[in-house]
Amino acid sequence: MKSLTSIGRWCLGLVIFAIVLEVCARVDDVVTYGAPFWGPYNDEILLQRDSIGKWGKPGARYAKWQLNSLGYRGPELRVGSVRILTMGASETFGLYEAPGEEYPRQLERDLNLWAGKDLFQVVNVAFAGETLPTTIVRVPQIVRQIHPSYALIYPDLSSYIWMSLRSPANNLPAQDASRSGLKFESRLSGRVENLLKQALPISIQNELRKISMRREITSRHYVILDRLPEDRFEHFRQDLQALIAALRDYEVEPVLVTHATIFSRPLSESDRISLTHWRKIYPMLKEEGFLDMEKRMNDVIRQTAVEEHLPLIDAEKEMPHGPKYFADFVHFTTYGAGVMASILANGMEPLLHSQLQAANVMTQDGSAVQPNPAGGDQR
Amino acid sequence: MSSQALLYVIVLPVAWLLLWLLKGARARQALLLIVSYGLYASFGPRFLALLIFSSILNYGLGILLRRKPSGGRLWLGIVFNVALLGTFKYVPAIAPLLPTSSLSGSLTGIALPVGISFWTFQALSYLFDLYREEELEPSLLEFLLYMAFWPTVLSGPICRLSTLLPQFRDPFQPTSEDVRRGLDRICTGLFMTALGQVLGSGLHPGQGIDGIFDSSTRGLTGPDVWCLAIGYGFELFFNFAGYTHMVIGAARVFGFRLDENFDRPYLSTTPSEFWTRWHMSLSFWIRDYLFLPMVMLRRDAWWRSFVLVLSMVVFGLWHKGAVLFLLWGLYQGLLLVVHRQWQQLQVRHDWQLSQTIMAPLSWLVTFCTICLGWVFFRANTVTQALTMLHAAANLGSFPRATLPANLFILVAVLALGYFATIGSQRLLHNYSETLTIPLEFRFALYAVAVYIGIFHAAQTQAFIYFQF
Repeated sequence: MKSLTSIGRWCLGLVIFAIVLEVCARVDDVVTYGAPFWGPYNDEILLQRDSIGKWGKPGARYAKWQLNSLGYRGPELRVGSVRILTMGASETFGLYEAPGEEYPRQLERDLNLWAGKDLFQVVNVAFAGETLPTTIVRVPQIVRQIHPSYALIYPDLSSYIWMSLRSPANNLPAQDASRSGLKFESRLSGRVENLLKQALPISIQNELRKISMRREITSRHYVILDRLPEDRFEHFRQDLQALIAALRDYEVEPVLVTHATIFSRPLSESDRISLTHWRKIYPMLKEEGFLDMEKRMNDVIRQTAVEEHLPLIDAEKEMPHGPKYFADFVHFTTYGAGVMASILANGMEPLLHSQLQAANVMTQDGSAVQPNPAGGDQR
Repeated sequence: MSSQALLYVIVLPVAWLLLWLLKGARARQALLLIVSYGLYASFGPRFLALLIFSSILNYGLGILLRRKPSGGRLWLGIVFNVALLGTFKYVPAIAPLLPTSSLSGSLTGIALPVGISFWTFQALSYLFDLYREEELEPSLLEFLLYMAFWPTVLSGPICRLSTLLPQFRDPFQPTSEDVRRGLDRICTGLFMTALGQVLGSGLHPGQGIDGIFDSSTRGLTGPDVWCLAIGYGFELFFNFAGYTHMVIGAARVFGFRLDENFDRPYLSTTPSEFWTRWHMSLSFWIRDYLFLPMVMLRRDAWWRSFVLVLSMVVFGLWHKGAVLFLLWGLYQGLLLVVHRQWQQLQVRHDWQLSQTIMAPLSWLVTFCTICLGWVFFRANTVTQALTMLHAAANLGSFPRATLPANLFILVAVLALGYFATIGSQRLLHNYSETLTIPLEFRFALYAVAVYIGIFHAAQTQAFIYFQF
């Protein structure tokens, strides 16, 4: 009887241990991020739904991500600035960088340093999982809110892998959409996962990813593709042209940017691990298919720039590769975001020269900044 | 959390269960050795090869000394161990000074095996003890285990074979009291290392002790330097003493009792007392095997002072072959000499000073001088250290402070919190025999410590003493 009581108390102790850990995680969230103690707390709280789909919730905050009053990542709009949009997906929204160090923020600092004054404001209208079709529909709303002069388009190419598997208007992969706000979500589980990611050797993590990938392929009956079929690239070309047209309708000058990745040629062992990591998210495309996809889609971007007479910043060629610059297959480290920002700044400076001169003339005259030639009203 | 830490978390509970199944002492020692070697190899298999090489050679030297404890044989052992330590620890430090660039390049690249300073000193203590004709007759297996014992091999405490050998031979019977006390200490250690991390990294990025030491320290005022010196003193204490708590606690869960390494050092009222309370295992090693044998050679007062300074210089250089550590050792040695001179003056002139005044004053002087010495320990260059010390003594700069207010508050809160905790421990001490914490509440406390020590500290912070 005594030993039974003892076992019972130990079991109760372990339950208390787990509960207190969960409570600590929640208190930590409250203290560090101002998160609610009860209820779910995940990246979904950054988003809201409207007739088009998911969109940033004004003023929302999750962990290091803070949206402004318009629902975009970054500070509030500044009056009198020349505004430049950055359009894209998670690479542009920023995942791994320190807060305020995602490439749009660093680009803004670089441009203003070049200008010698706080003239430019880079507005990051990207979201993780954002697709070109959704962005096209959003253009009128974005332009109405921001009145930009330029739009840097850094498209997420991998969203075209999902095309046949989900509706284009849905921003997030099918499995993410099922996340409900009502069910209990442990705040500790994510932390345990992060700890294991830090602690498990990369080779073991890679094998675990392969197992999970095989399981998903089997359970969802995916047809495995060696490379993306040509129709996806045609879709991408049409979407890109439609986005350009939509922006031009509002007199916003698009600037195309090719897509950079961590992968160097020939592939290193860590590159192969990163490819497996990428494939885990899109299991239906073989690893080599991603490299082929990147090459062909970047070719589409380059061709479109020529056909549409648009400025092109070839980040794919200019951006160095490797883990110093990329935290995973396509997402930047803080340092990598800085390099990307300087590449973009170099590409943008010739385009912005006229704005800078106009601003300088206005400053000398002592009058306000005049409307810019590209159409933004610079409030 | 590093891969190695995860390995420890997985391997040790399994080893603990397996040890219950093994009946014979040799089988248990063999399992402990396999576990110790496996865990050590996770830091690099080449390091393990070196540890085994050193262990076997020292065991052989031990056999020679047991047969005939002569000075020549002891010196052979000393030369071998110092050469081994020097090759990996000091040669890379002095290599850049060599004229041949290719040679200096390859010597600079020699990697420092984890814990080499700790296990080399353990090997030396074994040889010294044999020379003193202590009754130590370990088997090869026992000696290999002594050198590689998983709790102590990375960062001490530096144990003596006479302490560990009987425990290696005892049956494996950790009591529930051992497990409870061991877990208590592991959790205390987790909590302390988390506090050390908070001091090091600060409340805001770049505003912690480490960030400020690693950025430009020009323009610092007196209050800034004192805040940094005291803050680093506590950071180092929380980090190293916290680590030691975990080591001693983990060993205790297995039923092993290791020597203590810290005994509330910042309560010391003299520098001599401080060195009997801080990093005690190294301090006592230096005292027993260096200071005492040398001081016996002559009876002159100047010789005693010289040996005192020399011992502390060795203490400093044990950490790293760098001018800053030499200066730190020199500073600590001089403090000890000055303290001794002061004591002699008191005796000579029969000064009877009121303890009510002298005890707090003595504590304050000791605390401040010890903390100021940490500037040498943490600074990145001699120039930085001297600039900071100059600022600390510059009374004109005292009304001003340039460091963020939150760092001053953090250091003050943690320092006062430390003293308050010790004070409350003393108060509770009388009730500790009757005070029992219910198991369920204990688990809740463990959870808080585990969260603060592991989960909250999302970014891994290396234990400072791993580098030595």
